[in-house]
Amino acid sequence: MAYTFRGGVRMNEYKITASSPIEVLPAPDKVVIPLSQHIGAPCKALVSVGDKVDKGQLIGAVEKGLGCPVHASVSGTVEKIESVYTPQGRKVEQIVIDSDGENRISPDIKPYRGDIYKVSPEDCIEAVRVAGISGMGGATFPTYAKIASAIGKVKHIIINSAECEPFITANHRLMLESPDEIIAGLRILMHVFGLEKGLIAVEDNKPDAIVKLREAVGDGKDIEVKEMKTKYPQGDERQIIYALTGVELKAGKLPADVGCVIFNSETCYNVYRALALGMPLIERIVTVTGDCVRNPKNILAPIGTPVSELIEFCGGLKEKPAKLISGGPMMGVAQWDINIPVTKGTNAVLALSEKFTAEPELPFSCIHCGKCIRVCPMHLMPLFLARNSKKGDYDECEKLNVLSCVECGSCAYICPGKVPIVQFIRVAKSVVNEKRRAKLLARQADAQKPAAPGKTDTADRPAAEKTDNLKTASVKEQDAGKAATSAKEDNPNAAETAKTASGQSAECLKTATAQTAISQKSETVNTDKKENSK
Amino acid sequence: MNGENQSLMALSPSPHVKHKNTTQSIMRDVLIAMSGAFVWSVVVFGYMAAVLTVLSVLLCVFYEFAYQKLMRKPVTVSDLSAAVTGVLIAFNVPVNIAPWVLVFGCFFAIVVVKQLFGGIGKNVVNPAIAARIFMFVCWPSEMSSFFKADAITSSTPLASIKNSVIPDYTVGDAFFGFIPGCLGEVSALLLICGGVYLLIRRVITPQIPLAFIGTVAVFYLALSPVGTPVQSLGYGVFTGGLMLGAIFMATDYTTSPVTPVGRIIFGVGCGLITVAIRFLGAYPEGVSFAIMIMNLLVHYIDKATMPKVFGMRKQKNG
Repeated sequence: MAYTFRGGVRMNEYKITASSPIEVLPAPDKVVIPLSQHIGAPCKALVSVGDKVDKGQLIGAVEKGLGCPVHASVSGTVEKIESVYTPQGRKVEQIVIDSDGENRISPDIKPYRGDIYKVSPEDCIEAVRVAGISGMGGATFPTYAKIASAIGKVKHIIINSAECEPFITANHRLMLESPDEIIAGLRILMHVFGLEKGLIAVEDNKPDAIVKLREAVGDGKDIEVKEMKTKYPQGDERQIIYALTGVELKAGKLPADVGCVIFNSETCYNVYRALALGMPLIERIVTVTGDCVRNPKNILAPIGTPVSELIEFCGGLKEKPAKLISGGPMMGVAQWDINIPVTKGTNAVLALSEKFTAEPELPFSCIHCGKCIRVCPMHLMPLFLARNSKKGDYDECEKLNVLSCVECGSCAYICPGKVPIVQFIRVAKSVVNEKRRAKLLARQADAQKPAAPGKTDTADRPAAEKTDNLKTASVKEQDAGKAATSAKEDNPNAAETAKTASGQSAECLKTATAQTAISQKSETVNTDKKENSK
Repeated sequence: MNGENQSLMALSPSPHVKHKNTTQSIMRDVLIAMSGAFVWSVVVFGYMAAVLTVLSVLLCVFYEFAYQKLMRKPVTVSDLSAAVTGVLIAFNVPVNIAPWVLVFGCFFAIVVVKQLFGGIGKNVVNPAIAARIFMFVCWPSEMSSFFKADAITSSTPLASIKNSVIPDYTVGDAFFGFIPGCLGEVSALLLICGGVYLLIRRVITPQIPLAFIGTVAVFYLALSPVGTPVQSLGYGVFTGGLMLGAIFMATDYTTSPVTPVGRIIFGVGCGLITVAIRFLGAYPEGVSFAIMIMNLLVHYIDKATMPKVFGMRKQKNG
């Protein structure tokens, strides 16, 4: 019996590239390497315009805090350093490198000196950090930080190769073509964590990959390949942990809190490469597919390759796509620019036609069918979350545990009334988060200083910042969730302002929050209207 | 690859793909599920059954269209929900009803019960049930003179049971549909077939019909009002509006709970009230009142049966 969880949806897989071997993209003329491709602080450029760089050379590093360094993925000359939006909708600096076509490997790249299977935890963390590896399933959490925070706490190590989203086959091909490297990576990580046993979770729609992996494990009893039921979102780490260990991981907790650590299979593969070859993360497998792409393919592409080049490599587009998505169809981000670069988290590029993305003719309306409740992997009541969010009753959303939502999109997928449930939930989540933060700040401000008359200028600042955020968000034409991200990023400033100011300014911050809520709401309403008028 | 291609790409948040189910496709399935009972009504009651059903559908669709036009709302008649309401209202009247009664009944269902409460998904009571009760209260004689195809007035099996008389019809008649009654409710067999179709198409879940019919069945078996317990069970379950109500009306999404446990509570509640009215009340039939009363409680049932959120329950080693 395959392992699984309660809820979720079975959907058409569209894994059309499952039997297409990974093809290596010839070095593009130009690569564009964003300085922030991961969760954490952005990097600072270490090169300047006109510098010669080698393939694998460190070109951006994090000064302090959480983050991943970035490396040149081709050899050539730094053409410019500019500021643009990433596929995730954030504004970052990026380094444009003109390739010289020589693919000269940087002399800095050296394999680990000792036995890689006996590497000390410190050396492993350092090697992974230097290699700039971040989670390659899409979440892009810096891998070294995950290892460091989990050491000594975990009983289970799980490699996530479920790949539950439709269309994507990057991990599938990797398992078929490089099973030994994945197993080697897992054995290194098992040694680092001091674990005797490792698990690999693969959905049972990839029986060939399961066979390959089992062959690669050989007679060893140390690694078990677990068959997971093919169901979305089986690849969510919470659901994998639940399916394999029976433990439910609460929202906001990390897998390490329940003794588990989970890596994507491609991340694991790159951990091996970082130690065995000293190779930093400068290329990744991207599934380029969708019904608008002439010859869908799995491509090994240098980080920073413009998506337009990948599509060109696949024979171009059959028709104009209605939507270009970076990532999977369930959690990927719609793009407005075909020249965006491949980043460390880009596991797929989808060009979908109207057939997939057509908006319904009728205005959306919830018919109370309860299908969303049946599919929610977090056992929430998405219809009531959406309803209360639409009403603006965010307190009720909080009571209904809106913050437990992982935004997998199962509810909106199954909804016959075509309610944009996830959008409503994202709005509610951002408001609830803001409220909580404001409450916390108010408490801190109260505790730190006795009440004093507030200054208007300090009080106005947070509000102005919030408005700016919203403007940027609407310019970006991204959803409310993105607005929340930028608000989050901006928060340290707001926090400092509030800390230094009096209790009254914290009060004003609350007002600012309320304004944020209102304007976000009006944005949603606008979207609604647009959809209605269609 | 640049320029015009880019400007036409849609930006919207995930998920980017949707299931093919729509409100319209679900309502179409409900209509298909009811088609057997419709054909049978024409066979048993003659062409007037078809006339009444078509009239009722047209009236409901017209009222919805007219209301939405008048209120400058987007017109949503193509979601077929008004058509389903129309068929259900026709299924709930006897064949010899004066057609003008439907003019009022459909108005009450669509305008008063559905649209004034906000339209699809927002009504508190099932429109067809409300219309049935409305017509029943306003025109009791129109609504309860049952003819059979041979145009002889006869009392329904439930009315006979009410008077502690063994009905003129056998349980088999009731099951296959050779009894007097409302248009859509006479053939239990065809209604069950429709229900099975809805289950296979995953339009409904089995909790409500099973809990509803099961509860009623238990009481008939235990109390055995006429003949043997098994005979009572047959009459109690296969006659009157129970099959139609339990399969097609109590399962209406908008006016039934969303959680599995809630649906069982709802079904049992419907069953208990039906039995109470049939055994203790003044009316021979109580299905529609039972459903309407339970409709009013849906909000509270939903709240009381909220599922435990993932990670929030007590764990062995968490």
